[in-house]
Amino acid sequence: MSDDKLVRFDGLIKRFGAIEAVQGINLEVVRGEVLGLLGPNGSGKSTTLRCLMGLLRPTAGHVTAFGVDATTEGVAVRARIGYIPGELRLPERTTGFELVASIGRLRGGFDSRRRDEIAARLDLDLERQVRDLSTGNRRKVALLLAFVSGSELLVLDEPTNGLDPLIQHEFLALVREARSHGTTVFLSSHVLSEVQRAADRVAVLRAGKVVIEGTVADLRGRARQRIEVWFEDPPPAEALTAVSGLVDPLLDDRRFTATLSGPIQPFIEFLARCRVNTLLVEEPDLEEAFLDLYAESE
Amino acid sequence: MGRFAELVAIPLRAMRRAVLWWSVGLAALIAATVAFWPAFRGTSGISSAIDQLPGGLVQALGLQDFNTPAGYLRGNLYELFIPLLLTLAAISLVMGQTASEETSGRMELILAQSVDHRAVLLARAIAVLIGLTLITAAMAVAQLVADGLVGLAIDVSLLLSTIILCMLLGLFHGAIAIATAGAMARPPAVLGIAIAVALAGYFGAALLPLVDALAPWRQLSPWYWALGGNPLITPTEFWRYAALALPAVGFALFGLIAFGRRDIASG
Repeated sequence: MSDDKLVRFDGLIKRFGAIEAVQGINLEVVRGEVLGLLGPNGSGKSTTLRCLMGLLRPTAGHVTAFGVDATTEGVAVRARIGYIPGELRLPERTTGFELVASIGRLRGGFDSRRRDEIAARLDLDLERQVRDLSTGNRRKVALLLAFVSGSELLVLDEPTNGLDPLIQHEFLALVREARSHGTTVFLSSHVLSEVQRAADRVAVLRAGKVVIEGTVADLRGRARQRIEVWFEDPPPAEALTAVSGLVDPLLDDRRFTATLSGPIQPFIEFLARCRVNTLLVEEPDLEEAFLDLYAESE
Repeated sequence: MGRFAELVAIPLRAMRRAVLWWSVGLAALIAATVAFWPAFRGTSGISSAIDQLPGGLVQALGLQDFNTPAGYLRGNLYELFIPLLLTLAAISLVMGQTASEETSGRMELILAQSVDHRAVLLARAIAVLIGLTLITAAMAVAQLVADGLVGLAIDVSLLLSTIILCMLLGLFHGAIAIATAGAMARPPAVLGIAIAVALAGYFGAALLPLVDALAPWRQLSPWYWALGGNPLITPTEFWRYAALALPAVGFALFGLIAFGRRDIASG
């Protein structure tokens, strides 16, 4: 495995009895990137991440991390990963401080200044007992444990479940900071906007298979965009409909509307030859791309 | 503190209340039982009633020599209640720190750290061993103090060996629970299998001697290994300790190996 590939899933299959939760995943996580694993509940995201963490043993195929087998060399692999489980359960009768200290002792110690800084950013009171914390605050404790670890790779399974928007914003800031310091982030989510804002690259899972993989820009580029143009001097309707990528074109006097599927470049070149008053291109949403591409994969 | 020490400390912190309550409960049971000895010693009614029972039944219930200090303690505490309660304590502590923790998802955060999964289970087995030792120590202190207060003259070494045998019987069944928890993340199975073995062992040791042809089979029972030598009266042979401790180590090792080879249940 080349040095820039931090993690590689090679034909990963995981069955639970008759259910095949993961059906042959081939995927690579590149050093320094933020890779979003996107898909609805039950698509195999958590199973994939738990195989990487050595919590599940692949039925077939391999998971390699940092150049070694993640199943047989789990201790060495986990030493370099900060992980947030999707189904987060924390011990109840302990304070946040005690829990962080305990996990710190298992990992060779945490930087207390960094701990306090992250706790302050997440607005987390570590002196409270875990049993008195809300779901969101428990999730903050898990976020703190992942980010304070200083690991090379963060594996975050549905990391913002239960967090309010302000803390989600802070989470994204922490991800960007970690990335800027060279940390690789592999996060799963069914929240498209979160992945859209956080990830460089996206892999979409459906029924245990990677159905789409690409950069966020790719996905957005493949998304349909609604466009609206007001012409000073409208071109012939036939010329407009001949532009590649335009779907449902409608010219009504000087107002032209259509949906653009594919690259926008041919349309821009066409408009350059016209006299245009206003041009409106709606921001393509990853959710639209996701749904379109999901439909394509069916 | 090293990583393994922390792995032991985590379940110890989690079970400290349970260990405290088991200690208080068993010490209170012992103290209360011993407190009735002076009143019992002066009556002959119960001894006469026991004399009316068939010999086999008296033996099965551990009521022989009930009017002596050793017979009184055996019949009231060490024939059934103390070994059974220590067994239940060991099984419940094991279940609480293994299968229940795993299926609830609380173990995942620990198992996702740079630790060997077998070390996590081993640490929990050691934590249960420490917990059961503390409970047993509390029992022994309560027994010795109460004996001194009411003048229950009984050999201290025989008493301690009896208590240790009861603890080993509990650990034996706790180790069966560890073996089950290592093999599968199913709390009902962990509880059910260990309790079924404990009850089968008790009834085997108590009831098989009632039928002459079946009597030799009682030697297969862990209860017979522990208490069949009448340890409150007769010094215990070394093999009885080994017969309980060695299989317990074997069961625990089986659990560790199985745990290292299987999937971890999620919450």
